[in-house]
Amino acid sequence: MSNYIPTVGIEVHCELKTNTKIFSNSINGYGQMANALTNVVDLGYPGTLPTLNKEVLNLAIKAALILNCKIRRQMHFDRKNYFYPDNPKNYQITQAETPIGYDGYVEIEVNGKKKKIEIEEIHIEEDTCKSTHRGTKTLLDFNRAGVPLIEIVTKPCMESGEEAKLYLEKLRELLFYSDVSDCKIEEGSMRADANVSIRKEVSDSFGTKAEIKNIGSISNVKLSIDKEIERQSKLYDNGETFQPQTRRFDSKLNDTVLMRIKETGNDYRYFPEPDIPYVYITDEQIEKVKSTIPMLPDERKEKYINLGISEVNAKKLIGNRALSDYLNELLEEKINFKTASNLLLGDISAYLNKNETEITKTNLSKEKFIELTNNISDGTITSKNLKEIINTIMESEKSIEEIIKEAGIQNITDNSAITEMIRKIIDENKESVEDYKAGKDRAIKYLMGQVMKESKGTLNPSMAMDILKEELNK
Amino acid sequence: MNDKLTKEEVLHVAHLARIKVDDDEIEKYQVELKQLLNDVDKIKDVEGYDEERMIAPWPKDTILREDEPGEMLNPKEVLKNAPKHSGNYIEVPIVISESEGA
Repeated sequence: MSNYIPTVGIEVHCELKTNTKIFSNSINGYGQMANALTNVVDLGYPGTLPTLNKEVLNLAIKAALILNCKIRRQMHFDRKNYFYPDNPKNYQITQAETPIGYDGYVEIEVNGKKKKIEIEEIHIEEDTCKSTHRGTKTLLDFNRAGVPLIEIVTKPCMESGEEAKLYLEKLRELLFYSDVSDCKIEEGSMRADANVSIRKEVSDSFGTKAEIKNIGSISNVKLSIDKEIERQSKLYDNGETFQPQTRRFDSKLNDTVLMRIKETGNDYRYFPEPDIPYVYITDEQIEKVKSTIPMLPDERKEKYINLGISEVNAKKLIGNRALSDYLNELLEEKINFKTASNLLLGDISAYLNKNETEITKTNLSKEKFIELTNNISDGTITSKNLKEIINTIMESEKSIEEIIKEAGIQNITDNSAITEMIRKIIDENKESVEDYKAGKDRAIKYLMGQVMKESKGTLNPSMAMDILKEELNK
Repeated sequence: MNDKLTKEEVLHVAHLARIKVDDDEIEKYQVELKQLLNDVDKIKDVEGYDEERMIAPWPKDTILREDEPGEMLNPKEVLKNAPKHSGNYIEVPIVISESEGA
C-alpha cells in the first residue's frame, strides 16, 4: 500500500444539559417511557410556535467560550427542509447561516507535541425523534424530538484516527467539566461523525470524501477512520476511484460499510426560520456565562503537578471528576498532596467502587481527610493499617484519632527497636547485602521486603528505608 | 433568459415536495414555476436589497423562555393521532435509507 496523506474532520452532536427542550417546555429527559415527554411543539403540530430556551443559549455560549470560539452577537435560525418521519414538521430548526460560535480551537497533545485542532463552527439545533428499525416497521419515540443540541464542526485538520480520538477525548472532558453536556456516548448524548479523505501530496486538492456516521464509541472512531484510510488507499493503489458517500461503522465487522451515495448539491432549501426572531448576545451576558465556568481539566492538571502530585495521578484524578472536585476544595491546605492523591485514587477509590457510592455521600469530611493524610504522611498509619480501618473511616462519624485508638494501631516508631530488627535482617541475608554493595538495585528492595514482612507491615516504609540504608552503608 | 424550467427541474422539485406530476402537467409547470421565480426576482429591484437582510420585522430585543418544565401530553393522547402504533411507539413503514436529519 502506498503512503497517502489522510485528512480527517469531525462533527460532534452534543445534547445540552437543560431541564426542558430547545423550543418547548416539555422535559429534556432520557430513559423514560416512549412518547411521554412531548407536547404539540415537539410533535410538529400546525400552528404551534417555537420559543427559544434561555439556558440553551447560555450553554452554547459556554461551549463557544471553552472551545476558544468567537461569539456572534446577532444570529437567527434556519429551516433545513427534508421529508423523513423523524421530524413531522418536515424541517429541522438549525443555524446554517449564523452559527453562534466560530474560529475556535482545542489543544491536544500528539506524541508529546501540542497541536491545535481548529473548530470551524458551533451551531445550535434541535434533535430529531429516535427511530428504531424493527423488521418491516420503524418505531418512533418523540422524547428526543426537540432536545437541544450543539453541533461542533472541526476544520479538516486531523491526519489520523489517533488524532481524532485525542480530540474527542479532550472535547468530551471539556464539555463534561463545564456542565454543558453529560457527554454519554452510550446514551447518544454525544455522537460523532467523521469525514475522511486521502491525497498523495500536500499540494494536491482534497481527495473524495467519505462520511462515517454515528459511531458508538471514541475507540471505534479511531478504528473506523484508520479502516477507512486503508480502504481508500487500496482503491487508489488499484487505480480505482469512488463517489462521495456516507458509511457507517459496523462493530461486528470492525469495518465501515456503505450506507448511501451522497446526493450532489444541496436539496435542503435552507431559509431563515420566520417563527423565531433575531437573537442578540451582549458582552454582559457573555461575562455572566464566563463566571460560571469551573476550573477546567488543563488548569487542574497544572495545579496538581505544582503541588507535587505525579502526572499519572493528576491524569487519573481528572478522569474522575467527583474526586477532582473533592480535592479542589483542599488546595489551600498544608498537606502532602502526593499522599492525598494516592489515598484518593487507592484505598478510597477502592472503597467507593466496592460500595458503589460517591465520596460526598460518605462520612469522609474534609477535616477527616486532612487528618488521615497527615497520619499517613508521618507514618502513624501504614498502608496495612489503612486497609483494616478504611471502612470505619468512610462510614463512621468518629475522628481518625478515635478510630486509630479503637483499632489498637500502635506502630513501631521507636528507632532503636527498628534498628535492631533491621540489623537482624542484614545478618540473615549476607548474600543480598553483598549484592547491594556490588551495586545491584534489586537487593535493597528484597531486603526492604524482608523488613516489612518481619514487622508485619507496621512500619512506616520511608522511615525503615532510611534506617536500612544507614545500616547497610556502615 | 429561458421562459421555462427544464423538465428535469420540474421533476426534481416535485420529488422534493413528494408530489406526483403527470406528463401533461409537467409542461404547464415548466412555464408556471418559471413565471413564479421571475415574479419573486422582482424583489431584488427594491432599493437596499443587498444591504443587511431582515428576517423578521422585529424590535431589537431577544425573546427567550425560562428553562422551566410545563405541561406535557399524555402518551395516549399522542398516539391517538398516529395511524398506527406499537406499544407506546408511533409506527411507520420501515424506512430503508438512514436519517438525513441532525
